[in-house]
Amino acid sequence: MDGSGHPSKEMKKVIAALLALVMMLSLVACGNKDDSQKDPGNGPGTSQNDPSKDNNTPSTGGTIKIAVAAPMTGDNAEYGIGFANAAKLMAKEWNDKGGVDIGGTKYTIVIDEYDDRSDSDEAALIANKIVSDDDVYGVLGHFASGICMVAAPIYQDAGYVNISPTSSHANYSGIGDFIFRNNTVIVVETATGADIAIDYLGKTKVGVLSIDTEWGQSAGKSMEDNIAAKGGTMVLRQEVSVDAVDFATEIANFKSAGAEVIMVAGMYGTLGPLVVAMQNSGFTVPVVGCSNAYTDNMLEYAAQAPDIQIYAPVAFFAGNTDPKIQAYVKAYTDAYGAAPSALTTQAYDSVGIMLTALEKAGKLDRDAMKDAIYDVEYDGMSGFTTFDEIGDAQKVFTKVTIKDGAWALAEG
Amino acid sequence: MVTFLGATINGLVLGMAYALIAVGYSLVFGILRLINFAHGSIYVFGAYMVYLFVSLQVGLFPSILLAILLAGLLALLVDKITLEPLRKKNSMLISDLITTVGVSFIIQNVLSVEKVFGSERKVFPSLNLFSNITIGHITIQSSQIIMFVVALLLLLVLTFIVNKTKIGLSMRATEQNSRAAKLMGINVNFVISFTFFLGGASAAIAGALICGYYQVISPTMGSLIGLKAFAAAVVGGIGILHGSVVGGLVVGVCECLAAQYLGSNVRDPMAFVILIIILIIKPNGLFGKKGITKV
Amino acid sequence: MAMKKNTNRLLSSFESFCYKYRYIFAVIYVLLCVSIPFLGLNRVQTRLLMMIALYAMLGMGLNVLTGYTGLVSLGHAGFYGIGAYVCALLQVNAGWSFWPALLAAGVFTAFIGLLLGLPSLRLSGSYLSIVTLGFCEIVQMILKQWESVTNGNYGVRNIPTPHFFGIPLTAKNGGLLLLIVVLATLTALGCLALKNSNTGRVFFAIKDDELASTMMGINTSRYKIVSFVISAFITGAAGGFYSLVNGYIEPTNFVFNTSILILSVVIVGGLGTIRGMVFGAALLQLFPEVSRGLYEWRFVVYGLLLVLMMRFRPQGALGWRSTQPYHLSKQAKQILAQPETKKGGAA
Repeated sequence: MDGSGHPSKEMKKVIAALLALVMMLSLVACGNKDDSQKDPGNGPGTSQNDPSKDNNTPSTGGTIKIAVAAPMTGDNAEYGIGFANAAKLMAKEWNDKGGVDIGGTKYTIVIDEYDDRSDSDEAALIANKIVSDDDVYGVLGHFASGICMVAAPIYQDAGYVNISPTSSHANYSGIGDFIFRNNTVIVVETATGADIAIDYLGKTKVGVLSIDTEWGQSAGKSMEDNIAAKGGTMVLRQEVSVDAVDFATEIANFKSAGAEVIMVAGMYGTLGPLVVAMQNSGFTVPVVGCSNAYTDNMLEYAAQAPDIQIYAPVAFFAGNTDPKIQAYVKAYTDAYGAAPSALTTQAYDSVGIMLTALEKAGKLDRDAMKDAIYDVEYDGMSGFTTFDEIGDAQKVFTKVTIKDGAWALAEG
Repeated sequence: MVTFLGATINGLVLGMAYALIAVGYSLVFGILRLINFAHGSIYVFGAYMVYLFVSLQVGLFPSILLAILLAGLLALLVDKITLEPLRKKNSMLISDLITTVGVSFIIQNVLSVEKVFGSERKVFPSLNLFSNITIGHITIQSSQIIMFVVALLLLLVLTFIVNKTKIGLSMRATEQNSRAAKLMGINVNFVISFTFFLGGASAAIAGALICGYYQVISPTMGSLIGLKAFAAAVVGGIGILHGSVVGGLVVGVCECLAAQYLGSNVRDPMAFVILIIILIIKPNGLFGKKGITKV
Repeated sequence: MAMKKNTNRLLSSFESFCYKYRYIFAVIYVLLCVSIPFLGLNRVQTRLLMMIALYAMLGMGLNVLTGYTGLVSLGHAGFYGIGAYVCALLQVNAGWSFWPALLAAGVFTAFIGLLLGLPSLRLSGSYLSIVTLGFCEIVQMILKQWESVTNGNYGVRNIPTPHFFGIPLTAKNGGLLLLIVVLATLTALGCLALKNSNTGRVFFAIKDDELASTMMGINTSRYKIVSFVISAFITGAAGGFYSLVNGYIEPTNFVFNTSILILSVVIVGGLGTIRGMVFGAALLQLFPEVSRGLYEWRFVVYGLLLVLMMRFRPQGALGWRSTQPYHLSKQAKQILAQPETKKGGAA
């Protein structure tokens, strides 16, 4: 605030402010494309050595885009960044081969990052942005189920193929024929979980802890069913907030209910603090998580809870001796400094599926691409994947556990 | 009975930590009639400073001391940079409120930037310094005992400062009538700064204790716990120290009992249910004095 | 300070310019609204304009309470959520059509506003803000827990498209945008009428000095409740519209941060003004868009903007004092005119 305000000067300032507003408006109005093109280079997920950047393959037929729409900032940023990293790695592998071969012409793949901030309104906006871009052929994304439910109708309406690596809402893939998910179907996943708890560990009294999101509730319900199917008894089911860190009450309840093993329908952010709290309160029964517990971040928590055995059913395991998987794990670790998690790998495969389908379709046509996805039999890192008629992926699970500070196959 | 006792003990311990955060709200509200929304983020900041220094191998206790100092300074700076100019301009209370919301946005989001600490939950060093105590079927963790004892001691120290020292006298004078206090030769600005420092420092201690108990830290953890602590401060009668303690204990115990008997999902809103009930019955809180409206 | 004066002078000369040609502007505005479906807006523009109009409406709703009556609510997301759920559930579960459902959403929310307004009889200032904050948390809990009605965390989906005389209103044909623009315009006109009414003047009197208002013989408690009810009605209706925007709602759409966003619209735009609500909504909805390049830092900048705004322009961007002649009601004019005529008669 300078005291010596000259009227004309002030006038200029006001006009400048108005101009700035107009510019803001016009930026938004016509700058959508520029925005999205800038995204891949400067995204928060871009580590110093971005693999999709250092390819100089001469493109013969131009480029096609795959959009990654996920939370890149805020609460679930780690997952969104993981998706983007995986997508870039997959794109690089294809580009190194010369790109996607569509009817004899090679196209280079570009990954566009969009940040939905785990916010429905933001997600709807970027979904609209993505479908306004004619070069985008597939959308990998949206992390949380509720967000997927908002964005998917927009992709369906515009006829863009959308594969979510995580969405679990029962009605998600039923939104339309362009909507797929490459996550694990909860029923199959929790069946393996129940198998670990009852057959592998030989326990009968099982406690279930689920988070109060749509996914947590569905998974918890499915765990109950599978425990009963395996002949075990569910002694207690408890639901906690997704932000919960205080498990004292729940642990005391499990203890008094006589639970011999606890199945957890929660991400590592819930499972981790739970095992630490169990260790601290001296309640040391084994814990069985879901496939999303399989991440290196979980190891830190496990180190604080040495007396608790932690298990998870996974469709992808980085320690797998399969050379193909070893090559992938090495490429990922070299590029991003950490081993890929289960969810990241599902994202990686999803991009692979989209590109394979596009090549199979033989033309740059989203409808044909969609039809091709139903025929794809994709042998990816998270297992052999096919889609059923509503667009759910079918996968096979293995059992893993944490041993000596690292994830390892559970023998037997 | 065992479950009831267990839940009550958990609640009491948690309540003491809430009280420690609530004191910060209470002190500031008493003097400025302002809900300091930045307080929750200062609590997070304090906890992250402990996390940072421990990971730099400074050692647990020096880390906590440094964090207390830094969080206190941050709270003081927040006041000096953002709130003091507003007071000088005699602006509306709502401007102050929005300013503190803005500040909490800034602190929380700087902490969650990937290159700073990142937005994901991290493991916090344990405060379980000795082994657990088991009485009958109830296990009390050492970190709980530490949390309870430290919080109790600090609250006693704070009560001593406010009631028995010269600066405490100035604080009470400013709270009752800042203009008159100024006329009596009290440096009101210094008193306000000191109050913010005290609030920030106690929030940092609460951060270290609570995170040490749960062993989890995340940049967004401050908003909910801040609101709960604030509810605790209001339940007890805001601006009154022992009110904050009782409020914290009431909220903590009710929360744990609700989780035990009504289901875990009722836990978080419980603080607000109590708050509304208390405010309808006793609009100034349990220990609140009648008619402290400032005109 | 000179700068401020000049800015204000400039703004108010702009205002008198607008006032002078208000009929022309009104005609242009109506024409623009009617032509929305034919403007050829793309999806992103439609979406943004829709959100701006929606938040302008939400802002106007909160403005009645905070800007006019001076009661700060930190829980308007609660009203917003109730409106959205009532409207959506009546359509999906009870098979109502959109229009009565929208009205019911407004009325029901207004009723809840009445209930929440009652404690305001006993609480003042910050305490009231805290109760509204708690109210929002409790609404959140009910939406999550009352699964048999609200469907809990699964959310409400398949919310049908509204029809207007057989024409479907969708985002694509611009119908939804037109709908919210009409709703927001109606709200604005309603707020304008309220502002110039006796009730509105009482609201401002309570805001400026509650004690003095009571001394003047005003039943402040009653007016505070009226203010709550009106504010809740507008917010509930906005919520009813929101249920259409995404076609899916879940409890996490209506959290504390949403309340803060609505409050920010009111504060940034200019407390007590109507133009400010539109400007504030536009600014806050466009900000994340324009600042996308800042990535993780954009909410740091957002916080910084709030702080700076409060520091240098606490009355809000467009919160200047109007220099336009004050509108008096007919009744007031008559009363004022009476002594004149008497005097005339005596002379």
